[in-house]
Amino acid sequence: MDRLWVAQRQMSVREVLEELREQRPLAYTTVMTVMDKLYHKGWLRREREGRAYLYRPAASRETYAAQLMSQAFTQAGDATTTLIHFIDAMSADEAAALHRAIDERLGAGGEDRL
Amino acid sequence: MIVAILLIAYAGILGVIGPKIFRGGTWAERSPRLAIMCWQILSASTLASVTLAGLALAAPSAPLSTNLATILRACLMAIKNGYATPSGVGLTLAGLVLAVVVVTRSLSCLVAGLIRSARERTRHVRVLSLVTKSCEHTGTIILDHSTPAAYCLPGRYRRVVLTSAALSTLDSEQLQAVLSHERAHLSGRHYLVLEVAAALNRAFPRVPLFTQANQEISRLVELAADDVAARSYGRLPVATAMAAMSGGAAPSVALAAGGPGALERVRRLIEPARPLRPVMLLSVLALMIAVIAIPAIVSVTPALNAARMPNCPMSTSATPSGLGPACHSFHASE
Repeated sequence: MDRLWVAQRQMSVREVLEELREQRPLAYTTVMTVMDKLYHKGWLRREREGRAYLYRPAASRETYAAQLMSQAFTQAGDATTTLIHFIDAMSADEAAALHRAIDERLGAGGEDRL
Repeated sequence: MIVAILLIAYAGILGVIGPKIFRGGTWAERSPRLAIMCWQILSASTLASVTLAGLALAAPSAPLSTNLATILRACLMAIKNGYATPSGVGLTLAGLVLAVVVVTRSLSCLVAGLIRSARERTRHVRVLSLVTKSCEHTGTIILDHSTPAAYCLPGRYRRVVLTSAALSTLDSEQLQAVLSHERAHLSGRHYLVLEVAAALNRAFPRVPLFTQANQEISRLVELAADDVAARSYGRLPVATAMAAMSGGAAPSVALAAGGPGALERVRRLIEPARPLRPVMLLSVLALMIAVIAIPAIVSVTPALNAARMPNCPMSTSATPSGLGPACHSFHASE
């Protein structure tokens, strides 16, 4: 997936293989099988070019990252404990109140260690 | 019969009035771990009371009372009398059904919740591993994203996830504090505590105790993790880290419950820690012991009384055919 995102163009199995071979030895069939699996799982799209396929990512890396983030933040009140946040998202007002509380305390006592 | 009534009344009191008594004051914020344990004990005692009430109703029935008599080497008649109910078979059956339903419902909600969470987590992890590069030596995963966020993935694939925005927003001390907070969630197995509380609330939604316990435990778990991070890196870095990360996702995708909780957490960290005085601590512990002990004592008292009786009441007089020999044989087996 990394190769395809970086390249930002359609690639054939052979092209991906050549790039990956720079890092470790791989067989053509290995790469072909993995890319085929990724296609069937919905990560890649492909179209035929002659006898081979050209693959490209179904969505950008940012889209998937955003999807992960929205899944992370929309843990509904049904409370599945898929993951535990450091701090839940909040409105701008609430964030401002937070900063005010800290500034007051820092202003009052300076940098003293609590 | 009276045993069952007492137990159900006790469960009712705990279930409905318990939370009102418990939520008052600031003692919970001063000792979050103790408070979590208290909510758990209250919930467990309520469940146990109802289950024991059901079993007490069912105790006069043949299989249960015979087993009890054998175990305690007590008089079968005395045991039956201790738990006797006026209308006999109907209530006995109802008691058994009650006990079974309570236990089964709780367990099934818990198991279903655990499976569902695990499944969602696995899906999340699968996408995560394709999209990110992980720092394997620290067990931390960096996700490329413009919103600062940090979360931990509990369970089989224990990892902490940070966004790249979080990494650039936090200074090194704040970063360590955030990581320490998330790792505290992982090592404390908080997800299990949360899962149980949520399961009980799903299983018996109209019981105020379980609803309150679920809310409070979710809040207290964050305070407990804050405390762990603050002990290592100072209270202020944890507080300022929260402020730095508060430029989070737009409220449209956020939980409503998150905001006010954060402000309270920051306010709490800004002040120095105030641990509970020993007197308070001991009182709470004593109360918890009482909460556990009461249903236990109430439910076994008739059985213990029966075990203490020196003679079976029927054995000394002329025995009617069905009852005497059965009574006799249990004493004979000593």
